[in-house]
Amino acid sequence: MKNFDSIKGILTLKICFFAVLALLYGVLCLEPLYVNSAIHAENNSPQRIISLVPVLTEELYLLGVENRLIANTSYCKRPPAAEKKEKIGSGMKISVEKILYLEPDLILAKWYSNQKQIEKLRNLGMEVKIFPDVKNFSGICEELIELSKTIGSEDKSKQIVRRAKNKVSSIQRKIKDLSKPKVLVQIGAKPLWVATKDSFINDFIKLAGGINIGPSGKSGLYSREKVLEQNPDVIIIVTMGIVGEQEKETWQKYKTLNAAKNNRIHIVDSYKVCSPTPVSFVEVLEEIVEILH
Amino acid sequence: MNKKLINWLICILILCGILLGVGAFSLSVGSAGIPFKKIIPLILGGRGTTEYSILFDIRLPRIILGLAVGSALSIAGVLLQGMFRNPLVEPYTLGISGGAALGVCLNIVLRLNRIGGILSIPASGFLGAVVVILAVYSLSARKGILKIQGLLLTGVMISFISSSLIMLIMAVSRTEDLHGIVFWIMGSLEEPNLALIKVVVLISVLGLFISYLFCAELNALALGEEEALHLGINTEKTKRLLFILASLLTGCAVSVAGVIGFVGLVVPHFIRMFVGGDHRILLITSALAGGAFLILCDTLARTIIAPLELPVGVITGIIGGAIFVYFLSKKQVTLGGKR
Repeated sequence: MKNFDSIKGILTLKICFFAVLALLYGVLCLEPLYVNSAIHAENNSPQRIISLVPVLTEELYLLGVENRLIANTSYCKRPPAAEKKEKIGSGMKISVEKILYLEPDLILAKWYSNQKQIEKLRNLGMEVKIFPDVKNFSGICEELIELSKTIGSEDKSKQIVRRAKNKVSSIQRKIKDLSKPKVLVQIGAKPLWVATKDSFINDFIKLAGGINIGPSGKSGLYSREKVLEQNPDVIIIVTMGIVGEQEKETWQKYKTLNAAKNNRIHIVDSYKVCSPTPVSFVEVLEEIVEILH
Repeated sequence: MNKKLINWLICILILCGILLGVGAFSLSVGSAGIPFKKIIPLILGGRGTTEYSILFDIRLPRIILGLAVGSALSIAGVLLQGMFRNPLVEPYTLGISGGAALGVCLNIVLRLNRIGGILSIPASGFLGAVVVILAVYSLSARKGILKIQGLLLTGVMISFISSSLIMLIMAVSRTEDLHGIVFWIMGSLEEPNLALIKVVVLISVLGLFISYLFCAELNALALGEEEALHLGINTEKTKRLLFILASLLTGCAVSVAGVIGFVGLVVPHFIRMFVGGDHRILLITSALAGGAFLILCDTLARTIIAPLELPVGVITGIIGGAIFVYFLSKKQVTLGGKR
């Protein structure tokens, strides 16, 4: 009898349990969840823009359309006014629901933004513009022009780019007869990470009249031994705060290093170097020219 | 009905209640700041509004995926702990999730997702898990007999090898690929593809169904392998089947949601403290509790410092771990049942 009871018990349990599961699955499959309810802009020039990328935020300010920027990320710190805008997350993780709530008609992202989240935003019917990887100064200029085309204020960007290009050319004329020092740009420590010949940082060195001794591959992973062997004349450290200072001290310990002997190890602002607009590119270039010559 | 069955039904009802409560809580909080009193009118008649879309296109899919992934990982944990009779066994210590992570990293670095589309990422995660399962299995099976100790050690080693290989890939990969790898490894319940969510739900339901058919075998294995053999259980066949089932459940969950550790380890232990070691009840309650736990952790992850979102693994580790240690210090537990 007891056995019968327990078999009956198990049967009841199983029935209850599968009924609950079947119900859950049924609810899930009942209706398509995605209803494209986001609001699209009627005309071609978006009025409610959300930027997921610090450099694009900065460029919107350069183009003078900051009033159309409704939100950005906690990483967007330049210009200082950008910090006061509504935040939709950090660079690594954004809140899709907050974005949807703000009803933007354009979202600006970059190639490195979270793919899954971008796809989710697009599934929800939102317009996301993704900007590709930038390899050099002309790429940076093209990015600004592309951005201005997207938001419909092309003239201003052309003006900015023309001015930046003129400045770069005048710098080139000034330094063309000077000697070319060997330069290493360090981006990270532990592991040592340096600017490769593929990156746009290479353009800074080239245009400033130096020779980048970094690797030509895609990865910037490098060894200190190799740096000592190549013996750069100048080392530029692109890290903020205490790590940069520590790295400077470390390099100074190698007495055979030309850069250490001649006290030519410098620290520059990583924010400007790593995500430049045409304007800040010229500023950094001037700084590097100063360092190299 | 006997007393045990009534107790079990009460346990299941309580957990269903908790699950519904957690689900409702998760549906009603978030960074968009929809007021609580607006939720019910929105559900009833808010179709077409942005708020409605936030509730049903963003929060609800996350809740459903949380339920499915949490359940799948917990069931895998119950199965593995039951057959290994070892409290530290979970999908992660056996290298299954390491294999999935490695599969995804290789996909990103070799740029297969550019050819195969975004769905190729979970597919390669699953493939990675399957490869590890086959490797662990074939390395620890001798003459058709699955050596439990060997299986565990091989799993742990493969887990180490996978994480080292991931680090190697990260060290030599391009910056743009590095972003993809980091995003995936952090783990998230944000899944744009609804079909994929449905697949995970279906697989975790099927997983629970199949493992429920092995309740008696699991209970016998908990007594020891020799005892199970004397009770007339084909231990080799059962172990093989259960191992493959647990691995597939993990592989499926991890390949969609990324590396979300801890659920498979802690939920079965926690539930065992309350319902005992009988797998007839342990499987169902663990599945329900695992789902509720993961939904709750995800809700906390996306609201604690909103709109900034934390990786869900951070919450499962810190909060889950702390609660577990607290209860462990109050109550002793063994794998066979309550002491």
